[in-house]
Amino acid sequence: MNILEVKNLNMSYETLEGSVAAVKDVTFSLKEGESFGIVGESGCGKTSVAMSLLQLQADNGKITSGEIIFDGKDIVKLNEKELRDVRWSGISIVFQGAMNSWNPVVKIGEQIREAIREHYPDKTKEENTDKIDELFNIVGLDSSIADRYPHELSGGMKQRAVIALALSCDPKLIIADEPTTALDVVIQDQILNEIRKVQNILGLSLIYISHDIAVIAEMTDNMAVMYAGSIVEMGNTKNVFANPQHAYTKMLLESTPSIIGPKKKLRSLDGEPPSLINNDNCCLFSYRCPSPTDMCKNRSIEMKLIKFDDNHYVDQCCMDCG
Amino acid sequence: MYKYVFRRIYQLIIVFFLFLVTSYVLFDSIPGNAFQSLLLNPELPREAYDLVIQLYGLDKPLYERVILYIQNFFRGDFGYSYVHYPRTPIELIAERLPRTLMLFAMVNIVAFYTGFLIGKILAWRRGSKSETWITVTSVFSYTVFYPWFALMMLWFFGYKLDWLPIGKFLYPEKWYDSPYDSDVIFVSMIKFIAVASILQMLAFVYTRNIESISARRNVRFTSFMIIIIGSFAYWNTGEMLNQKIYAMDIAYHMILPVFTVTVVAFAGTALLTRTTMMEVMKDDFILTARAKGISQKRIRDRHAARNALLPVVTSFIFTIVTIIDGSVLTETIFSWPGMGQLILDSVLREDIPVAMASFSFIGVFALIAHFIADISYAYLDPRIRIQSQG
Ligand SMILES: Nc1ncnc2c1ncn2[C@@H]1O[C@H](COP(=O)(O)OP(=O)(O)OP(=O)(O)O)[C@@H](O)[C@H]1O
Ligand SMILES: [Mg+2]
Repeated sequence: MNILEVKNLNMSYETLEGSVAAVKDVTFSLKEGESFGIVGESGCGKTSVAMSLLQLQADNGKITSGEIIFDGKDIVKLNEKELRDVRWSGISIVFQGAMNSWNPVVKIGEQIREAIREHYPDKTKEENTDKIDELFNIVGLDSSIADRYPHELSGGMKQRAVIALALSCDPKLIIADEPTTALDVVIQDQILNEIRKVQNILGLSLIYISHDIAVIAEMTDNMAVMYAGSIVEMGNTKNVFANPQHAYTKMLLESTPSIIGPKKKLRSLDGEPPSLINNDNCCLFSYRCPSPTDMCKNRSIEMKLIKFDDNHYVDQCCMDCG
Repeated sequence: MYKYVFRRIYQLIIVFFLFLVTSYVLFDSIPGNAFQSLLLNPELPREAYDLVIQLYGLDKPLYERVILYIQNFFRGDFGYSYVHYPRTPIELIAERLPRTLMLFAMVNIVAFYTGFLIGKILAWRRGSKSETWITVTSVFSYTVFYPWFALMMLWFFGYKLDWLPIGKFLYPEKWYDSPYDSDVIFVSMIKFIAVASILQMLAFVYTRNIESISARRNVRFTSFMIIIIGSFAYWNTGEMLNQKIYAMDIAYHMILPVFTVTVVAFAGTALLTRTTMMEVMKDDFILTARAKGISQKRIRDRHAARNALLPVVTSFIFTIVTIIDGSVLTETIFSWPGMGQLILDSVLREDIPVAMASFSFIGVFALIAHFIADISYAYLDPRIRIQSQG
């Protein structure tokens, strides 16, 4: 059963220069217990997708069309009260830069307790304390952390505590938005393991967002490659890695070192990410594309995901190029 | 934390000595030598003349006089008032201080509380029409020329509408056959307010650990009601029942000055709160709180306002420090015979012992206020506690 279905989601930010189309016609779905990766370069709209799922986009961000069906309900149509129920106990999120996710003047334990209290008001103080101890245990933290203030913890500890926080209301889906940026490599690896372990133990669904395609390969069952607000390739992670179709995916893969297989020269991605302000619905990658087709260059073909293989979809513009 | 407190106390003592020395030297160096010139006053009795010379060691060199002054200070001996002889400066201060504290402690608490509340709401309603209007009003009352505004208030409420008394802190005719001195009443009022606020604060602190939000709200409401009912009972029994009418008289006279100063004073806090709140609201942890499904009101009060409180507390303490010297203007306009008037009179009439005692007192008051500020700051911001341990 699909726990989450995102259908033709469009979201844009109103700015003084015009409207920035940050999410364009994004469609994907996620089964219970499954993990889904979103990869793409900085500014392609990954966080915007994540925020839309919780309706937490910035004040100038508006969902113009589309549906987000979570657990049978369309999140876009919910009112504030209903949204508050879904948040954290339905979908919880580990923010990008989770270091600053903590209120500096409230103890860690109290901040977790606050979330539990909001969604399970009938629990007693002892039950909540036990729950927090258990969560800390899962993410490998000592239970004494509950009595500490955020600034007393190291970056890695804060990040683990954020994961504990995200788990505190037994969500069905966790979104992890680049949870390991700003951590050193060893800690990054530990955190990734922690997330995977938690996901397995609790049978959670996971959306993992990263600009690092190697991490996506490690963490997810299915994945989507995003470029300039649109999904350009999507499918089973293994299939996409084994047989990348879109020129952008290929470039992403070539820019990442691999420890297995023959040594290859790393390639860097040329060019800048495109502007997202008021553009047509044609492939925005074409001007960076190594060998675009004529149709693509003339901008006479619209973007649209088409089926390439079982559980493997690619943007139609790039079927013949790259 | 203890280490922090001790270090603060130690700094405090040094600053205090510097303050005593400086204030003495400043008075001593007033052009024309204020000490001597007063002694030439033919109205001053001979024995007072000798006493003053001896008391201040006016014939000795400066550093000896400073030491003598400090010694006298710790004995609580400021000599005698020149103007109100034979009363001592301490007696005068003891009489005036409760009046000033009563008025301005009231004003400041009310002003900061409303200012904080309004600033909080302003920041939260950013961009709405009501926000614009309240902000404009606040800027007006923040920048208005205060003496003019106070006189306008007096004219309007005291004369035009004739609702409230103009000036003075009591109706003398009511007090002719009063068994109490006004000071006694002032002191009872201050005691009562202090006890009531401490009880309220304790109730607040002790209910913090109640897990269920609604239960906590109920307990807090009950405790508030108990304090209110208790206050009524208190003022209607025994001794207090007799004092009540006099306390009411003073309270009635306080309405206009409290209201006027509050209108002027709240705006600064409101604008400051608004700015800091808007900064805090951009922080990531506000987003976390929203993602957790916490209600808007709770995010505003618990997360945003709690973090915006720090600069507001600082400014509150700085205001407390200036209560006494800042009272000069208000007390003059509303003919409120408190510390402000005492200072003004003693300076104008060159009543040096009283002036010096008052200034020393202000110094002590300021230092203590700063000390409390530092401690409460450390309490409000856990990050300061840590830094101070190193
Ligand atoms: N509040 C906003 N107002 C206007 N534009 C915005 C706003 N937030 C994001 N954008 C723009 O929307 C686009 C997508 O931003 P988003 O944060 O979703 O990217 P991202 O993929 O998460 O990038 P990163 O990897 O750097 O986190 C960017 O071009 C960004 O400049
Ligand atoms: Mg992002």
